Amino acid sequence: MKRSKKLLISLITIGLLIVLAACGSNDDNNSEGSNGDSDGKKITIFQSKVEISDALEELAKEYEEETGVEVEVWGTTGDDYFQQLQIRLNSDQGPSIFSLQHVKEAERVESYVYDLSNEDYVGNIAPNMELKLEDKIVGIPYGVEGFGLVYNKDLVSTEDVKDLDSFVSTLEKLDGEGINGLGLSQEAYFLIGHISNYPFSLQDDHFDFIDRLTAGEVTMAETAEFQEFGKFFEAIKEYAVNPLEVNYDKEVGDFAAGKSAMIHQGNWAYGLLADFDFDFEVGMLPFPLNGNDKLAVGVGNNWAINGTKDEAEINAARDFLEWLHTSETGKRYIVEDFGFVPAMTNIEATELDPLSQAVLEASNSGETIPWAQNYYPANVVTNDFTPAAQDFFLNEDMTGQEFIENLDKAWQNAVK
Amino acid sequence: MAKSKNWGWYALFVLPLLLIFVTVVIVPFLIGIFYSFFDWDGIRANPMVFVGIENYLKLLDDARFIDSAWITIKFTILAVISVNIVGLTFALLVTSKLRTANLARTFVFMPYLIGGLLLGYIWQFVFTDVFAMVGEITGFDSIFFNWLMHPDYALYALVIVFTWQMAGYIMIIYIAGIQSIPGEVIEASKIDGANLWQRIRKIVFPLLMPSFTISLFLTLSFAFKIYDTNLSLTGGGPANATELFAMNIYNEIFGYANYGYGQAKAIIFFLIIAIISLTQVYMTKKREVQM
Repeated sequence: MKRSKKLLISLITIGLLIVLAACGSNDDNNSEGSNGDSDGKKITIFQSKVEISDALEELAKEYEEETGVEVEVWGTTGDDYFQQLQIRLNSDQGPSIFSLQHVKEAERVESYVYDLSNEDYVGNIAPNMELKLEDKIVGIPYGVEGFGLVYNKDLVSTEDVKDLDSFVSTLEKLDGEGINGLGLSQEAYFLIGHISNYPFSLQDDHFDFIDRLTAGEVTMAETAEFQEFGKFFEAIKEYAVNPLEVNYDKEVGDFAAGKSAMIHQGNWAYGLLADFDFDFEVGMLPFPLNGNDKLAVGVGNNWAINGTKDEAEINAARDFLEWLHTSETGKRYIVEDFGFVPAMTNIEATELDPLSQAVLEASNSGETIPWAQNYYPANVVTNDFTPAAQDFFLNEDMTGQEFIENLDKAWQNAVK
Repeated sequence: MAKSKNWGWYALFVLPLLLIFVTVVIVPFLIGIFYSFFDWDGIRANPMVFVGIENYLKLLDDARFIDSAWITIKFTILAVISVNIVGLTFALLVTSKLRTANLARTFVFMPYLIGGLLLGYIWQFVFTDVFAMVGEITGFDSIFFNWLMHPDYALYALVIVFTWQMAGYIMIIYIAGIQSIPGEVIEASKIDGANLWQRIRKIVFPLLMPSFTISLFLTLSFAFKIYDTNLSLTGGGPANATELFAMNIYNEIFGYANYGYGQAKAIIFFLIIAIISLTQVYMTKKREVQM
């Protein structure tokens, strides 16, 4: 009996020692700061936009034929992309090229991002569209995207949605005809994320406003834009279909079928919309908060390079990004296959779909409002805004003002 | 001589297993405890600030965490009851002289073979679309509405799906227990004039005690740890009304990027599971009847 105890103890000790030894040697590797040697003949890409996965893989094949450098594209799931990226970076199995949505994500992986300020082609990026971290350019925009009220020209005219009153009466009128005035859907960004931009973006300086909001110097509840935003939401709750019952597919499908007159979506939705048969003209209108007449245009995704890779791999990754944004093949892919509205002045876009065309025109003319969401606290939309919005749509008695107060609470919870 | 040979065999079988257990359970567990004393966002290159037990103190007035704990307890109680009742009922049915016993057994067990994620999505469709449709057609829209949109009913929906998944598995355990009851005992009781209910209560149940122990233990810990079905069926919604423990921890770590704080939650989570499970095993063990 005694012997067995001794044996057990020694076994455990041996086991622990082996494990500790393994951990120890692992740490040594890290301190050298290398991810294994590579000859720059292979790079890996991990990015979050599911829609372009197939096209990106084809592009990778063409790139390999042209240059001999193998590009491996990792599958992506979309929703939990950033968590996945984080896990891979942490375990030293990060990709050479990854995507970042906004500056808050860039801040979190600051120690990984490579400084792209000295690349030749960054000069072509449209003004204010690059991803910057303390004056260093760390991300190249995928393209510009814009959102607003995507509307059915047969059912709604520009005159119908130019301010709160006309918006409410339009929704009421359509409701009477059995048509859903404005479709939102249950996904975090389509429910509240994108639409919550307007009251922020309409501030004189939304960066400053967000900083003061975080510091507790102002609240949404006492800001006029937000109060009106609450009224818009009251109207949506009263006259439109409950968005929690609707997913993205149904939202767009109902719109295509003429059951909804407007949906709050971006130019990306055209891809899905085109899968349905529809026989009316679509257009994009600004969301008329406080009489706003500009579309919200910004960058949804940026290419970034993993600066912890060895030099050969970093250079290979830089070459790839340069090729993507300067070569004819690369540019063709960006516009035609990825379907982006280019954020580069050296890339010409032709034959855009009507929604992208609206965004491009707005972007070129400068008649846009910024995406305040890129400066939101990390994950505030999924973590805190969404439950608040669900609460609002489930609770018949909740007023718009109470909803805004809840958004205030949600914000404070996210920054505490 | 013979003895030392035995030790060699022991080592051969135990050592690999022990090694695996140590690497994938013990070591991560210890590292987890270590992390729970830091304020850290989970990115290795970023600084870890030692905060002592502050993370644990913070738990006490984290309303969302406490809500989540209550929801989890509520879910677990409901789930343990319903899974075991359904499982036992089916076990008694399919071990009786039912003609379709084998077929029924297969059918009831089948949901267990489908992953929790998939089940969640299937049932999401049932609760969202089918329920709404049935409600519209039959007019019973006080029962048949979209359950996932109602904070309380969403939890019941989760219990139903969990029962659907686990009942078959638990049934198999009960079947094994029932089949191991010697026929002569039952026969003797029949001769003594015991009716069906008396037989079940006085003979089958006491002899089933070992199966009860296993089944309650399994459902209790499975229900407490549930994540996949939770994620795909409700995603914690509506308005966090079904955010169970595991999901709360995940959201804390990956949603809010509070790695250390999330770890502290996870340690508490572990302690609760350990305490409940151990007490339960201890209590049921005492009531087991030896043949």
